[in-house]
Amino acid sequence: MPAQPFSIDRPLPEGVRDLLFADAAAWRGMEAALRQTWTAWGYREIILPVFEYADTLATDVGAEIDAEMYRFFDRQGRTLALRPDMTIPTARVVGTRLYDQPLPLRIAYVGSVFRYEPPRAGRQHEFGQVGVELIGAGGRAADAESVALAVAALRAAGLPTFRITVGHVGFFRGLLAALALPEKLAGQVRRAVDRKAEAELAALLAEAGDVAPAARAALLGLARLTGGADILAAVRPLCLNARMAAALADLITVADLLDAYGVADVVTYDLAEVRDLDYYTGITFEGFAPGLGFNLVSGGRYDDLVGHFGPPQPAVGWALTLDRVLLARELQGVVQAEPVAAVLLSAAGCPACLSWAAAARARGLQVEVDPLGLAPDDLWRSARARGIPRVVIHDNAHTLIVRDATGQRALAADDWEEVTRWQNR
Amino acid sequence: MAEPLTIALPKGRLTRDALAFLSRAGYAVPSNGDNGRKLVIEGPDGRLRFIMARPSDVPIFVEYGAADLGIAGLDVVREAERDVYEPLRLPFGYCRLVVAGKADRPDRPLRLERSPRVATKFPRLTEAFFRRRGLAPELIVMSGSVELAPLVALADLIVDLVQTGTTLRENGLTELRVVLESQAVLIANRASYRLRGEEIRAFIDALAANVTSDE
Repeated sequence: MPAQPFSIDRPLPEGVRDLLFADAAAWRGMEAALRQTWTAWGYREIILPVFEYADTLATDVGAEIDAEMYRFFDRQGRTLALRPDMTIPTARVVGTRLYDQPLPLRIAYVGSVFRYEPPRAGRQHEFGQVGVELIGAGGRAADAESVALAVAALRAAGLPTFRITVGHVGFFRGLLAALALPEKLAGQVRRAVDRKAEAELAALLAEAGDVAPAARAALLGLARLTGGADILAAVRPLCLNARMAAALADLITVADLLDAYGVADVVTYDLAEVRDLDYYTGITFEGFAPGLGFNLVSGGRYDDLVGHFGPPQPAVGWALTLDRVLLARELQGVVQAEPVAAVLLSAAGCPACLSWAAAARARGLQVEVDPLGLAPDDLWRSARARGIPRVVIHDNAHTLIVRDATGQRALAADDWEEVTRWQNR
Repeated sequence: MAEPLTIALPKGRLTRDALAFLSRAGYAVPSNGDNGRKLVIEGPDGRLRFIMARPSDVPIFVEYGAADLGIAGLDVVREAERDVYEPLRLPFGYCRLVVAGKADRPDRPLRLERSPRVATKFPRLTEAFFRRRGLAPELIVMSGSVELAPLVALADLIVDLVQTGTTLRENGLTELRVVLESQAVLIANRASYRLRGEEIRAFIDALAANVTSDE
């Protein structure tokens, strides 16, 4: 073993990480569970390129993501970028290639995305996303399906406790219209609402001068409009125009459907949710887990995006950050066992043992064959050091010797009943 | 008894006021929060758990969810630019972040400076303040005794917190511009705000009742 770790002169660049065995197993396990979930809901996977023209990827994204894109040049000097999310490439595929296919389209994807942003809550510059998009359905049924699928996905990913908060951009947009503030002040109000800075709102309203009392009351009451589906009834008197009323009606319909989906217990509502106000066009939602200050999953309705690439289509979807779900699971005590073989087999001078190994593997057992020709005691020490629970040694044509923590015993070479009991988990 | 809400408090200038304020709002507070060596303290009534943190670390504890809530100076919160909610301004810890220079420096607008060398503990706010005025400051980031810098010609200007201005005057410095009017602010973790919404709402309301009755 080297006295100094080799990594000293082979550092990793900022923003990327390796996932070692247990983490990789947890990661792939989550991907498999999520794939099974979206498949059960009728979503079909597409595989998207990791880089595209920067202009394409920058379509309709906020200034924040635009500034966070990894950009580089191809040999003709055209600007490329690593995908900062997968919704936009999906919209491109739908707009340019699938525009005449029967609707609705249910699309799923999984892969790395790349953003220059400070590493936060388990997320580096490269992080893993799994997402779904339901395209060509504009109604509340589609909205509710998307939220319910997000709940199903987090459950399938093995996260015990989480909460999804649903909002609607129409409510705050309607309120801004009712307030009729000058542009600069409207921007300040929006940022204050984003931070739930209630006292600041009062100060900003004072600055605004004559604001209709009803609009003032609605803005100041906004921070309280968060909670279970029962708060939606309390919102009705605060609706000042058709837009706010329509947003509320949407949320009430979605809440009823989510109740029917059986996920109402993990869903709350927040009428003051103003994140990505320019991108989303209807409901928005975010998922949170205890101890993690950042969302695990984020989504909403974005009816204006597909139209940038082809015939406009209503769309709703979400993307989940695998890195954060992994971290959230750990915070909640979910432990991923180190992947390890069930058997370490000594096959030196025993061609028949190799066919025994093949037969055991065919029965789903993980079998490692010792390539070093270790003597029995060394073999057992090697197995112990690597967490392999037992070693198998050739005795004669019909008998194997099994050694595990309980000791050593003979095993008939064709006793598959015993061997299948060795399966990990 | 439910799990207490965890609140991060800044050790130092704001500790006493923060504890007194929470006490007035009806929460039992540790008697020796300021002087104790323990950094995590269970509240006597079991409703709050206190994390005593470096002031500039409070927004980090809260952003990451190690604390559900925090009390910090607005100066620290703006400098940290962390993704947290700020539901309430609190009626203490008033001070201002100012640009100061030697009292005998020629009186002319800052925007005519070439590229001022500025010492500060608030690099982000300082940088933004000067950039907005078209200047490219040369920042000297310090962790203490910023007011010393102009005296020994380490910096032309400083950006630092001022309560009364005594320290500045005693060091032959004068206040030139206000960067930020600061006071204590309650911050909340975005996930906790959702996951423990009712408890946090009740906490905010209890504090808010004392904010208004003070003014």
